[in-house]
Amino acid sequence: MKESIRVIVIDDEEGMREGMRRTLQRQGHMVDTAEDGESALRLLRQNRYALALVDLKMPGIDGFEVTRFINENLEGTVVVIVSALATVEAAVEVTQHGAFDFLSKPFTPKDLLHVVERALRQHSLLADRQQYLTELNSERNLSRQLINSMHEGVIVLNRNRLPVLMNPTAERFVGMAYREGLSAEELGLSAAVLGAVDTVLDRGQTRTLREALGERMMEFLAFPYLRGEEKVGAILILDDITLQWQAELEKSRFIAMVAHELKSPLAAILNYVNIILTGMFDKEPAKIHEMLARSKIRGEALLDLIRDLLFLNQREAGKIEKSVERLELKEVLAAQLDFFKVQAERSRVRLELQAEGDNFPVLADRKDLDRIFMNLISNGIKYNREDGALTVRLACRNGGVRVEVSDTGIGMQPDEMKDLFQDFYRVKNPQTAGIPGTGLGLATVKRVTAECRGEINVSSVPDRGTTFTVTLPRA
Amino acid sequence: MNAKMKIDSDLSGSGRRNAVPKVLIVDDDQDLLVGQKAFLEKRGYQVETASSAAEGLKRLESFTPDLILADLMMEHYDTGFVFCKKVKDKPKLAAVPIIMQTSAPKELGFTLEAYNERARKWMKVDEILTKPVPLEDLVGKIQQHLAR
Repeated sequence: MKESIRVIVIDDEEGMREGMRRTLQRQGHMVDTAEDGESALRLLRQNRYALALVDLKMPGIDGFEVTRFINENLEGTVVVIVSALATVEAAVEVTQHGAFDFLSKPFTPKDLLHVVERALRQHSLLADRQQYLTELNSERNLSRQLINSMHEGVIVLNRNRLPVLMNPTAERFVGMAYREGLSAEELGLSAAVLGAVDTVLDRGQTRTLREALGERMMEFLAFPYLRGEEKVGAILILDDITLQWQAELEKSRFIAMVAHELKSPLAAILNYVNIILTGMFDKEPAKIHEMLARSKIRGEALLDLIRDLLFLNQREAGKIEKSVERLELKEVLAAQLDFFKVQAERSRVRLELQAEGDNFPVLADRKDLDRIFMNLISNGIKYNREDGALTVRLACRNGGVRVEVSDTGIGMQPDEMKDLFQDFYRVKNPQTAGIPGTGLGLATVKRVTAECRGEINVSSVPDRGTTFTVTLPRA
Repeated sequence: MNAKMKIDSDLSGSGRRNAVPKVLIVDDDQDLLVGQKAFLEKRGYQVETASSAAEGLKRLESFTPDLILADLMMEHYDTGFVFCKKVKDKPKLAAVPIIMQTSAPKELGFTLEAYNERARKWMKVDEILTKPVPLEDLVGKIQQHLAR
């Protein structure tokens, strides 16, 4: 079914008006009429017309003014001038005023319908275009919103390598808001990134590269901005990979450290073994014995290190199941000190447990408590002096259970303590040389203590001793 | 176990030759120091040891060796390089060859290799050996550098 079209006929001659109305209504169009400019404008404001047939010569507001009004205010309404001025000049003039066509009086109904048909075709084109523009606009809106909500930075550069668009993420990455006339260099993009942009602009090749941008590490994807076949610029996508990059660095540093720490004791052992094998000490069995004894100590330390590493690995893989229970810390510590009795006697270190009362309940996994305090007690014995003491003090403070593990050993300088809880850190000075250790003990203690929602602190006086203080929540 | 044990040896060959080659070993691994000192002394070298870069520099004030064996990772991962630079910057010691021994895994790109003249110049190291260094290799390298 043909859609009904609304038409307005504006003419001060009644005969003309009615004649046109009848002809158009017979075609199924809805027709309104106006006898002058003023009433025409009123109707035009109220209704939407596909077509306006406008008489040029009217008293008051004339046809030109009505046409101007329509063109300025009503998109989609096509104007046809109806006039007795049937000259070429007049035709040009009315189209210059924004009319689509003109119809010269007098005309037959057939002439009228012919012009109207053409005008309505124009109307339908205009309507399609309007629809297209609306859709295009909302599509642009959508793209813009998508770009603005992206987690990646987007920078679009034109053929002259000037930035023409940056999304908020990119602005955050480069640390400045977009403004016209900004250069690619001002954004802080490295020479390598600019080189990639040039490659994209020159050869249309897509490039990816990893480059620093300020404090961050970025993965850049550069590809051509095409309009049809034509390269009109370059698009840069910036992916912030700082955390991943740091994790990779950290991991490779850790592996390098592990390899170094594994090789060091092996090198010492092999060195002794090789010396023994030369036979140069065959006549000095005491020296051979000494070298073997040291090899044994280094071998055992190596085994400890491997155990610590495996423990760390299991822990990181989440393979260790915790069984948290209510434990009396005093009993746990007494059992641990008992375990070290033989070693302490051999090293001539006196072990002592001091507790204010008998009530130090904690909620923890027994294995975690062993990790924490066996490490600290073992250190307190290793780094002690002959006839020294290792004292474990238990107290309840501020809703927590506080454990102090104090030794009377070599102590530490302030600058030796700052990296104390780092993986593989060992205080290195002539006094500690020869004391086996993995460098993972205190790092592990700190991790496990944190997992138990506890805290660890250290204080030390060189040549007097060191005290580690662990505070755990009281159950 | 007392780490400061001494595995000394008598310098059996020292009487025959006038110039006993003098070596300083700087390493924070006490066992490596003890072992290499014992071995090199049996081979006729006069050996002094230091267990840190600072101690090594102090020892060099009164002892001028013919060759230095230095560890890389001591207090810091690059302590050995810093030590070597400080040694080579002293006119009196600039000509003393330095052999670096390290456990740092170069497979992981951890240590700087003297892969070209420029790096070698900056690093001021004459040779880099990876621990554990076979004893005969060590002696061979020492003799090679002393012969130059």
